[in-house]
This record gives sequence, C-alpha cells and structure tokens, in this order.
Amino acid sequence: MSMWGRTLQFLPKQHQREGLLPWVIGVMLFLCTLALASGLALGKGIERWSAGLSTNLTVQIVVEDEARRAKQTEDALTLLRATPGITSAYVQAEADVLELLSPWLGDVPFDAGLPLPTLIDVSLSSPDAVHIDGLKERLAAAAPGAQLDDHQEWMSQVLHLASAVQLVLAGIVVMVVLSTVAIVIFGCRAGLATHRESIEIMHLMGAEDAMISKAFDERYMAHGLKGGLVGVLLAAGTLYLINYLAGEMGQGLITATIPDNANLSWLALLPLFSALITMITARITVRRALAQMM
Amino acid sequence: MITFENVGMRYGMGAEVLRDVSFSLDRGSFHFLVGPSGAGKTTLLKLLYLAHRPSRGLINFFGRDLMTMEREALPRMRRRIGVVFQDFRLFEHMSAFENVALPLRIQGAKKAQVADHVEELLCWVGLEDRMHARPATLSGGEKQRVAIARAIINKPDLLVADEPTGNVDPEMSRRLMHLFVALNKEGTTTVVATHDEGLVQSIGAPILKLSKGDLEHVPGGTPIDPGA
Repeated sequence: MSMWGRTLQFLPKQHQREGLLPWVIGVMLFLCTLALASGLALGKGIERWSAGLSTNLTVQIVVEDEARRAKQTEDALTLLRATPGITSAYVQAEADVLELLSPWLGDVPFDAGLPLPTLIDVSLSSPDAVHIDGLKERLAAAAPGAQLDDHQEWMSQVLHLASAVQLVLAGIVVMVVLSTVAIVIFGCRAGLATHRESIEIMHLMGAEDAMISKAFDERYMAHGLKGGLVGVLLAAGTLYLINYLAGEMGQGLITATIPDNANLSWLALLPLFSALITMITARITVRRALAQMM
Repeated sequence: MITFENVGMRYGMGAEVLRDVSFSLDRGSFHFLVGPSGAGKTTLLKLLYLAHRPSRGLINFFGRDLMTMEREALPRMRRRIGVVFQDFRLFEHMSAFENVALPLRIQGAKKAQVADHVEELLCWVGLEDRMHARPATLSGGEKQRVAIARAIINKPDLLVADEPTGNVDPEMSRRLMHLFVALNKEGTTTVVATHDEGLVQSIGAPILKLSKGDLEHVPGGTPIDPGA
C-alpha cells in the first residue's frame, strides 16, 4: 500500500534480509499441510473401515467331518437368517476361501484336499442390530463347531495404531506452527533492529505505536500470505501425485489413508491462516518492542 | 512554556552527563545551545524533544510534568515539537515531498490539505524544483532544508535543531539560520545547538552553555547581522 493508503507505510519496500522469510514460511506450510492432510485422511479411512466392518460378521464352521460340517452349516444358516437384524447370510465359495488364503499358502489347487473351514458372511442392518453375545450362545447351541468373529479385536488394534499416528501428525502440525511463529518473531526483531532509526523518527514526529506496528503487520501479513500460497501449492501438487500413484495401486489398507483430492478444498484456507498467524505474531512482537521505547 | 528544574541525567549506571540543569524557555524565545563535544548537548536536546526522560529533576512541558506523564500522552506532546538533525535523518526511499508530508499524515490530515501545505512550505525553503527528488539526489543544503520543512510543517510550538549547519557550507549555514530566525519571528520557540561561534555571534541570541554536564546561562549580545 502506498504512503497515501490507510496504513502509513514508512518502511522501505523490501529489505534484503526479509526476502527469504516467505520461502521459509512456505516450507513450513508445506510440511504442515501434508501432516494435516494425512491426519484427516487417516481419520476418514478409519471411519470407512469401521463402518464396513461393524455391519459385518463372519461365522466359521470348524468341523473336520464333512457331513457334520454341512449339517452344522445348514443349522447355522437357518438360525442366522431367522435372527432379526441380519439382512443376509451366505456361505463363501471354497474358491473364494482359497483366494483369501493364497497370500499365505500360494496357489493351492481346488481339489488339494485341504481341511478348509466353511465361512459364512453375515450382513447386519446396523452395527447394533444384533446382540453379539446372545447370538454367540445361540450359535453354539445350534452348531457347536461355529465360531463368530465380529472383527472387534482386530479393529481395536488398528484403531489404536491409527490414533497414535494421528496424535503424532497433530504434534507435527503444532510444532510446525510454533516454529513458524518463532521464525516470524526472529524476523520481526531483525526488522525492528534494521528500521530502528526510522521508528525513532516516526515516534519523534508523534506517531503512535499502533501506527508504527500497522506498517509491520501489513508487511508480515503479505509474507505470510505469499509463503502460505507457495507451501499450499507445493503440498497440493504432492498430494495430487500421491493420489495418482495410489490410484494405480487400487483399494486397500494403505490407499484408504491417502487424502482424497475432492476433500482437499479446505487447503485454500491455509494461506489465509498463515497470513493471520504471521500478522498477529508480528503485531504482538512489534508492540512489545515499541512499548520498551520512550 | 518549558521549564527544567535541577534536572540530572545518567545512562544506566554511568556517571551523570547532566547535573542540576535548570532553565526555562519562554514562548517565542530563541536560544543557542553551545558546548564542547561530550558536554551533554545531545542529551539535553533529547530531553527537549522527548526522546528520553531524565533520571531526576522536574521538566514541565506546555504545563505538564514530564516525569509523571504517561507514555500514551507522549505522541500528542511530540507533535508540538519539531526536530532537525545534523545528519538530516530523512527517509531515503521517499521523495522530499513525502518526507515533509509525514508529520501531517501522522496527524491524519487530508490528502489535499497535505499537498497544499507541503508544496507551499517546500517553495518557502526554496525547493520548489526538487519536490519529487529522493534524498540521495539532493545536496547537503537541500537535504537540511527538507529536514527543516519536515520539522516545521506542523507549525510546532518548539523547534529543536541539533547542529543543523554541521554538514553544509558557510553560505548555506547563513541561509539556514535565516530560516530559523524567520520561524522564530513567527512565534516558534527555537533552540539551536551549534559549535559555530560565528553563527552564534551573528544572531546575538541568549546562550545555554554546557560544560561537563553543568549549564551556564549567557545573555544575548548584539547581533552582528541583525537581518539574519
């Protein structure tokens, strides 16, 4: 803004030492954005897994004798299909079970004679539609070889891990924001030292602290905005690239935690956040320093 | 208008650079401040243009006690004081016009009003052709005239000049003193610190003479050049 704008800009256009500040802020915002995006995407991934698994149960019929296994499977299916809250229950084909085991057993021929359990895939109308313990008891009575797995043990381990990762990412975001604030404080102090004589002249001409600090606020807000734009653009490019590569991999545990491009519109707000943080930091730093002067 | 009573000043834990300094400046008076280097002239001037508070003593500015004046009241008080420095202290990235306009801008004057006053004043100091020049392209005398114009644009009650002729040739010194005397005749209380004895004698104004922190009052003599 010119000298005739709302802010009385008495500082020269750009001091050499301040030239790097927007780039440093940009790097910080880049790291911050990646950490934020990963944390939020992980949260969404956990939600998706939980939603998928909490309405799904698996019943295994582990009986060696084939005839008894077929009988218990039939009894279990009858019980499950008659239970309110269960929308479907069907036996997984042996070929599908072999495919599930192929990462551990390799390509096993269909007629290899392996003692495979019968798997019944059960879908619930809602996560709380069935009382699991009651169902377990009724299943045990109807088909003693049946084992009900509601995936809770596995899910709770994954959720604990995901929460720990989210906590680490939140810590990274906080550290990056605090580092940015520290960098701005150092930059401001250097700026105050550089322009000390000009500030003294302004004071002697009757300028109030608010008037002087406004010139710094404006300058640092511009640095924050510029740095924020650089950082967010770099981060957006990186996330787009990761998404593209993840798309090539297909769906799975890892790809579920990759940020979705469609949900990244909030990134546009980060440069404004960066501008606000740098402006507030500059204002507090400069006002405190000015208050020490006569 | 301004009174110093038994004012003492020391920086940190050092020795006193001013000791029991007492004097008063009446409205519209003209004083020279003289003394050898290290006598405390700059410190006394800093007290006069409110860059420091004294370590002890009483200073009354326009009816208010400086020792008890809250910091928030200083800007308003400073707007009544114009300061001219030996090294000009102009903003190098601003034109002569913008430098002179600053005090008015600080007071929130309107753009048109600022333009009128600044142009008029720059013409008065003989810089009508150099209004939009940056300080780097001005001579020492021109810079000092810009600095004087900046100091008086607000029509201050008190004008303080620290060695205003120190960086200019004798002819320019004489012309600058013409400006100070003319301003004083319009009612501005003026204090000029100088080493130039010829200049002091040419005006014949009362002298505040500092020596190792002690102040001596010397009454005004007969001006050598009353027209100055």
